Amino acid sequence: MDALTHLYLPGAVAIWSALIFALAAVWGYSQVLRGDATALAFGRRAYACFAAAIGLTTLMLILVLLMRDFRVEYVFQYSGLDLPGHYQFASFWAGQKGSFLIWLFWGTVLGLFVQRTAGKSEAPVMVIYLATLLGLIFILVRENPFVMLAQSPLDGQGLNPLLQDDWMVIHPPIMFIGYAATAIPFAFAMASLWRRDFNGWAARAFPWALFGFLVLGCAILMGGYWAYKTLGWGGFWGWDPVENASLIPWLCLTVLVHGLHMERTRGRYRRANYVIAASAYLAVLYGTFLTRSGVLADFSVHSFVDLGISGWLIALMGTFVGLSIWLLATRLRQVPTEPNEDPMLSRGTFLVLATIAISVSALVITFGTSAPLLTRLRANPGQVGPEWYNLVNKPIAIVIAVLLTFLPYLTWKGDRFGALLKKMIVPAVAGTLIAVAFVAWKVHDALDIVLVLFAALALATNLHKVIAKWRAGGLRAAGGYLAHAGVGMMLLGILASSAYDESTKLTLEQGKPVVSGGRTFTFLRYLPPSAEERRDRMEIQVTEANGKQFSLFPRMFLNQRTQQLMVNPDIKKSLVSHLYISPLEYDPGRPQLELAKGQEGEVGDLKVKFVGFDLQAAGNALAQMASGETITIGAVLEVTRGGVTSPVKPLYQLNPANGQVTTPNLDLPGGGAIRVTGIDASAGNLRLEVEGLANPAKLAVDVTEKPLIEMVWIGLYLMLTGGAIAMLLRFRDARVLERVAERAALS
Amino acid sequence: MKRNLWYVVGGLMLLGFAGFSLMSFQQNLTPYVSFEQATSTPRMVQVMGGLQKGSTDYSTDDQALSFTILEPKSAKSLRVRYHGIRPGNFDDAISIVAIGRYDDTAKQFEASKLLVKCPSKYQGAEVKTYS
Repeated sequence: MDALTHLYLPGAVAIWSALIFALAAVWGYSQVLRGDATALAFGRRAYACFAAAIGLTTLMLILVLLMRDFRVEYVFQYSGLDLPGHYQFASFWAGQKGSFLIWLFWGTVLGLFVQRTAGKSEAPVMVIYLATLLGLIFILVRENPFVMLAQSPLDGQGLNPLLQDDWMVIHPPIMFIGYAATAIPFAFAMASLWRRDFNGWAARAFPWALFGFLVLGCAILMGGYWAYKTLGWGGFWGWDPVENASLIPWLCLTVLVHGLHMERTRGRYRRANYVIAASAYLAVLYGTFLTRSGVLADFSVHSFVDLGISGWLIALMGTFVGLSIWLLATRLRQVPTEPNEDPMLSRGTFLVLATIAISVSALVITFGTSAPLLTRLRANPGQVGPEWYNLVNKPIAIVIAVLLTFLPYLTWKGDRFGALLKKMIVPAVAGTLIAVAFVAWKVHDALDIVLVLFAALALATNLHKVIAKWRAGGLRAAGGYLAHAGVGMMLLGILASSAYDESTKLTLEQGKPVVSGGRTFTFLRYLPPSAEERRDRMEIQVTEANGKQFSLFPRMFLNQRTQQLMVNPDIKKSLVSHLYISPLEYDPGRPQLELAKGQEGEVGDLKVKFVGFDLQAAGNALAQMASGETITIGAVLEVTRGGVTSPVKPLYQLNPANGQVTTPNLDLPGGGAIRVTGIDASAGNLRLEVEGLANPAKLAVDVTEKPLIEMVWIGLYLMLTGGAIAMLLRFRDARVLERVAERAALS
Repeated sequence: MKRNLWYVVGGLMLLGFAGFSLMSFQQNLTPYVSFEQATSTPRMVQVMGGLQKGSTDYSTDDQALSFTILEPKSAKSLRVRYHGIRPGNFDDAISIVAIGRYDDTAKQFEASKLLVKCPSKYQGAEVKTYS
């Protein structure tokens, strides 16, 4: 019973009951598969109870976080008294345990809808789907988030300051909806193989694949935008293992969406889709293993440690890899297929080539991310940097752009090249003009010109088709074209903003204008935290060549809890380019001195000698200490400047009631000021700060001009909007099909 | 027949791409090596060590940061030079990963990128990259 007293019981009991209900639901659904149709109701009820238990678990963790109950270890580790209310939610997924719980929570919620859309394959689909959830429950039962501490601390350790950002409140939960969603096509595919029911699954899984594509895409977009806006290294994508861990499943889902489209419209890809659906989910598990097990600890910018769950993650991955391979090996050959008879120049062939290109990209990224694991076998494990990922993905991007250029005009039956060109003459001219503009601007590298040309053409031809569809009766059938236009736009934006940006490092002295790249930069002032702005800012005035003036406010501040130096860039946005200023180093121009009694130090043209403390500076300090009044101590100094020595006595005041320290500036004869910044009581040392001498405050910044970066975001929005339109269409299709099947069964 | 020809062409292109990826992978791979190995190879490598207290030397004008790192296992030391602005809280670093190559004439390691691990109470250590 000892273990029980170390758990927050309401939460722990909720997790355990969730485990039991999940097992009961699996049992109920398995009975249906054995032929007992009445067990279906039991399975559904058990699932409802399971969902309630998971909901309760989640609610419990939110409650203990909101109550700031620091007895619970998880709350103690990730929350603190100084954390504003809505960041308490960010604490929920700041740690491993909470992020597994939010993943499980979304998986459970989505399961309620999977039940309803699974039609007559509900029982086998739910058994597989519950198996994927059980893996997460096992991890949570072992790594219980409701472990209690032996004592009850007064305050928590606080939340990582990097995560105290509004984007971090919404980005991670959306990412986990995406992770949870990849298990749905997986469950449909595996259930179909398992029961050898090869026909209905594609229509049912299709909208879910689009849903996963959409949600994971949104999460990746937000993560990239957050990195760009707050981290200050200037980019939105660093090819870090954590980023790749979400990109690889997303690429798999992209392939799956196209594969399912071909299966639904042409009966193609019937076998391949099983493999793709399995790889999307296995990629999520593999990414989780890479980023959560600590195997990449020395290689990633993000922080990982081994929580002791590596074994569990390997077992989880092994189970599902094993299950997939067994089902694929024993049943894939039984799936009926037709030989490929598409002509070369046809929509079918181009779609196949595009899916191959995206798959190759996913494989290459997986290979690169695994480099530290793969090279572990050798004497010196290593890794590859962003340069390699950019290098190998560029040819793939060109291939995709070429395919997308022609795709809108191709038919399934096949086309002639001449007729094709005639159809696309208007957008082809528009696209070429865009490309010419890029070359005239400054794109001169041959490979870059090819990429720009086809990306611009893909944008133009697909937009052309969107407009044609829209005129012909609405955007319902234009989702794919809209998404592809977005891809073209995004490729242009990525190339222009990352390969043709211009960056300079400037050191700005306060008040002294510096000219760089046609702009004038002046570091005006340091702004301390205020009621509206929680964090310190620097004001930099920028004057454009045409005389236009504006101020940017990058931040650089010390996080009080962690003594970590935090940096936030500031961005001046316009449609054609962003001006990105990121602070690198700040020298407040206030030299510090630490002196022992009788010691002399030098600052600029000053010599400062610390003679001793004056306990009678304003009343008796010892008496003040005894009575609890504000204590005032004077520091007796001898300041020598230009051969003249004068005594000065800056004060140090401490209010014992609230611990507030006041250290007023004391003007020095001959200019400047001095103040006490601290007293080291044990060593008897005095810390001083001098300001207003010849050295002004200096701010070093990185100034980057990022052309057309807005096209990256707009392109992504177009792509995701296209995906959303397609998803709505496919959910409706699936419902219609279900109804047709029901009617057929009745008659 | 024509179709099979296309399959061969496609297959060859994929093979070519695989070869290209692997070759560039080999070239771009920066292995973790010991200080001894780092000083005897001209290729890009990464080394990890603890910062020797008081060894940091920074000049604001040409933005060059020099410091010495100590290898925990061998007690060897390595002088590292890095061009760029000094990373914030650099002096508190518990360990530093430097990616770059050894300059045999200057007898120091020219780093093009630094990963600074600072003591942190959060899971693992907070790591920041500078390049």
